[in-house]
Amino acid sequence: MTTSILTYIAGWPIIAALVLLVVPRNYRVIIRAIAVLATLISAVLAVKMFCQFVPGANGFQFEQQIPWVDSLGISYHVGVDGLNVGLILMGAIVAFAATLCSFEIQTREKEFYILLLVMSGGILGAFASLDLFFFYFLHELALIPTFIMIGVWGRGEKKNYATFQITLYLSLGALIALVGLIALYVASGANTFDIPKIIEHAKTNPLATNVQNFIFPLLLFGFGILVSLWPFHSWAPLGYGVAPSPTAMLHAGVLKKFGLYGLIRIALPVLPAALTTPILSPSFFNHFPFGWLPAFTQHWLLNLTWPYVLALLCVGNILYVGWVAMRQRDLNMLIGNSSVAHMGFIFLGIASLSLIGISGAILIMVAHGFLAALTFALSGYIYKQTGSLEMSELGGLCRKLPFIGTALLMAAMAGCGLPGFANFAGEVTVFFGAWKVFPAITFIALWGALVIGGIYMTRAIRNVLHGPLPEKWNTMADASHVWRKLPYALLLASLLVFGFWPRLLTDKINPDADKIVERVTAPAKAMDKVLVQADNSGVRN
Amino acid sequence: MKYEILPWLILFLPLLSAAVITLFTLRCKTTSSLISIGAIVAGFVMTVVFINANGFHPAVSETMTNWLNFGGPLQIDFGLKLDALSLMMLLIVTGVGGAIHIYSYGYMDEDPSKARFFAFLSLFTFSMLGIVLANNFVMMFIFWELVGVSSYLLIGFWYEKPSAGDAAKKAFITNRLGDFGFLAGILMVWGLLGSLNFGVLKGAMETNPAALGCCATIAGLLVFCGAVGKSAQFPLHVWLPDAMEGPTPVSALIHAATMVAAGVYMLCRTLFLYTPDALHVIAYIGGFTALLAALIAVQQNDIKRIIAYSTLSQLGYMVMAVGLAGPTPAMFHLTTHAFFKALLFLSAGSVILGMHHEQDIWQMGNLRKKMPITFVTFLIGALALSGLWPLSGFFSKDSILGQAYGQHNYLLFIIGVFIAGLTTFYTFRLFFVVFFGQEKSKAASHAHESSLVITLPLIVLAVFSAIGGLIGIEGIYHYNFPIEGEQSAGFIAALFEPFKASPVAALLGLLAFAIGLVAAWALYAKAATDPLPAKLGGMATAMKNKFYFDELYEATFIRAHDGIAAVVNWIDQWILEGCGIGLVRGGTNLSGRMLRHLQTGNLQTYAFLFVLGVSLVLYFVLRK
Repeated sequence: MTTSILTYIAGWPIIAALVLLVVPRNYRVIIRAIAVLATLISAVLAVKMFCQFVPGANGFQFEQQIPWVDSLGISYHVGVDGLNVGLILMGAIVAFAATLCSFEIQTREKEFYILLLVMSGGILGAFASLDLFFFYFLHELALIPTFIMIGVWGRGEKKNYATFQITLYLSLGALIALVGLIALYVASGANTFDIPKIIEHAKTNPLATNVQNFIFPLLLFGFGILVSLWPFHSWAPLGYGVAPSPTAMLHAGVLKKFGLYGLIRIALPVLPAALTTPILSPSFFNHFPFGWLPAFTQHWLLNLTWPYVLALLCVGNILYVGWVAMRQRDLNMLIGNSSVAHMGFIFLGIASLSLIGISGAILIMVAHGFLAALTFALSGYIYKQTGSLEMSELGGLCRKLPFIGTALLMAAMAGCGLPGFANFAGEVTVFFGAWKVFPAITFIALWGALVIGGIYMTRAIRNVLHGPLPEKWNTMADASHVWRKLPYALLLASLLVFGFWPRLLTDKINPDADKIVERVTAPAKAMDKVLVQADNSGVRN
Repeated sequence: MKYEILPWLILFLPLLSAAVITLFTLRCKTTSSLISIGAIVAGFVMTVVFINANGFHPAVSETMTNWLNFGGPLQIDFGLKLDALSLMMLLIVTGVGGAIHIYSYGYMDEDPSKARFFAFLSLFTFSMLGIVLANNFVMMFIFWELVGVSSYLLIGFWYEKPSAGDAAKKAFITNRLGDFGFLAGILMVWGLLGSLNFGVLKGAMETNPAALGCCATIAGLLVFCGAVGKSAQFPLHVWLPDAMEGPTPVSALIHAATMVAAGVYMLCRTLFLYTPDALHVIAYIGGFTALLAALIAVQQNDIKRIIAYSTLSQLGYMVMAVGLAGPTPAMFHLTTHAFFKALLFLSAGSVILGMHHEQDIWQMGNLRKKMPITFVTFLIGALALSGLWPLSGFFSKDSILGQAYGQHNYLLFIIGVFIAGLTTFYTFRLFFVVFFGQEKSKAASHAHESSLVITLPLIVLAVFSAIGGLIGIEGIYHYNFPIEGEQSAGFIAALFEPFKASPVAALLGLLAFAIGLVAAWALYAKAATDPLPAKLGGMATAMKNKFYFDELYEATFIRAHDGIAAVVNWIDQWILEGCGIGLVRGGTNLSGRMLRHLQTGNLQTYAFLFVLGVSLVLYFVLRK
């Protein structure tokens, strides 16, 4: 079997990291060149892969499988379908942009680049993996460097506390997800770590409903913590606030999408019954004294399903965190909170369990990857120049920084859902998908997207870019060099391309998202069929 | 349909122009402005060519391509609708817009960021054309938002002025409030009817008027929210006067001729959605806005703000007309208003230039001799706005009043007539104070006429403001909204048509004009200060302070959001973060402390545990 292009996409950064180990630390230019080159190759390959991808082809493309531990059924297995093709493209481009933005790192550059490359390679590999073991392992490989980078190269007084918090939360999330995945492996009985095989196996031998109901929350909350699902989100703004910007770009942009991807790739198709059956069994009331509750509350509790819970939680992300973002005085904290709020739209799309919603969710995942990377890169540039992101101290920067200012303005507008940027296409799709399932929650989400998002973004622009320029920032310099401008231009262009032609992505996503939706709704339909048959037989008798 | 490519070119040329200016020619002022002017003038020419080839009513009225596709349930097209309504709007946007572009070339000549200004203007033109041409709800919403953002950019063009930055922010957020309702309405309509295309929706509503069921009124009003925001109707009218912080051509283009008209246009485009109840609400909101704004305008002193409130008031007229089931009068007034209001704004801009950026009318005076061309054009604009026969404003305003009278809604009819009087009063208050009386400041005595590139667009617009009512504009809209009965043909017949069709409305309108004019002359022809506050007392203060709407919103909407934000932020910091971190850390800490007792390093303890363990094992093994 030939080596898949995916192996190269994820492999180049890892190889470059290994090469960097032996490069002397004072060869700064070479270190940087190697890192930039490796991520560039990986990005170009990703673009090539994206262009060659055939929408709607059956099964996975660019597949490669090498058996590893036969007794457990672990193999190196990579491949793409509509669900991850966009993510890998986004990840590779963001990794390249993040490497370009690393010029701001001045101390211990060698270690920084090595960690950055490991992180890039790890997360690209995790997205490409079709084997549970590698899927999880490569994610951890990417996650650990995050902690180190924030701890060592982070900025500000709260550095230690933020590192502590992000490490704690993310390790906990990863741990819960791990428990869920192991439980899944054991319970599926397929005796393989191969994701497609597990899904196939689950189709013919579905897991018992109560087992599904046990595993699903583990995956939901485990992955959810990794994605800053409300109320487990407080690590994110703080962590991104102090992280060096390349780390924040990669984590907020790419790594964070892992949890969402995991939910869509694994939890939805393997555990369909957990999504459609109520969480609480009617016997619940026999064990617990809730009989005094009003009837409609009891009814509501009995009909509670996991997607509904998820939709309720995402109101927390969209509305609650939106309000928190309104309150922030520090630009990075504002961006971090808004990034958490955006996760709410993705969760809403997933919770709708409809083709439109899930396609929209993946579209936002890709769009938000570019956007988060862009905003953190820009705030990093401003921080480098001013040493502060306190919005009351900034102002009028558009005059001194026309390029950076314009890019930040566009990013802010993309962040509050302006058409033309990919985020709008994704968000509006999610709204359409969720409207029929959760009209009230969609209504609230609209308020969060249009009004609250608009308020905090325009406030940020007003405080940072508009108004008179304080005397002390007169010495600021704009990004003038092509290489300095490139990462921002690249990310903006990506946002615009997918904003103008979202079909580039949705046509690839749709067939595979459709399979997932079919898989989730099939048991319900089958059950309907059984009921109908029972009815018919009843009539006949 | 012939020349199907033309509408696409008309739409995308301004975008191209904006992109080219931003990417390449930002350093060169002249090239940038010529690119931008070229794009919109070419658009105008192409519109004329297209209409010549296809008429105002092409047989096939749509051309589209797919933008997003999710199979059956959701198909979002990127399509252009070409019928009388949109073609006429195309003419207005490219024609009036083109005149304003040319005017801007002169007006912005000394600004260092002229290139950026023209890039924004082109972006705005693109967005506005998109609204006009949209054939479905989502596409309209897309351009709706783009218009919002380009107006944000243009209002905040002089972003270093804090007031400009604040005004831009306010306009954006207020518009967003309307957009919130608009998108919710779109989702609701889509959820119930399963389509987004205007043509399909119209067909569905015609075959089954009850298709929207019990939600019909709510859905209609939600969509109307969009118009409330964009057309600055009560209660979202607060942004428009502040938007005067932008350069004057922006006020003329966005806040008179095009953007604010988008709401009225959208209402006419989606007229099939509204139930009688919804129309009722729309009519009264329009009437109330018209009255409120006219009252406020009486006591403003900034030349642009007076015209801005007048715009609000006229938009109220149009919305009222839509609500009275009269899309044709509404669109007719929209068209003539685009002419004379752009003319008034641009003339005001010429005055401002002549006065070296002084905008307080009580600093001006006696300018008619210093600025003769501006004086004449302003007079024509003012008369057209006030509705003097036979200028354009008379015909369109009369058709609205006639509509109210014809629908037997006498309350709105009387309000309409009263506003007509008020309009004349505040317009000529402004006119007399600025152009008559004594010079009230040094700047006024040194004022000078503007250059040709500025006065030429004024003259063109003045011509159209004068004859706009007689060139058959109303008839074109009848393609879209056919009416019963025949129309009189011929120039002379058109001239006297209003007096024949609805004599009460026409005569009362003229009477209101006369009263307003006389009152303004009596009070302001020679006044050096405003005599009105002394006469009206508290009412005048309230009018001057815009009836305290800004303060009201500051105290409610903004306070509420900031208050919630503060509370939520506190919860986030101290409870969620504290709990999450505290529990995990506390738990780990506690278990560590407990386990520490197992590893004391004390040999006796280890020996004791060892013996304990052995005895336990022995117990379990030997128990059998």
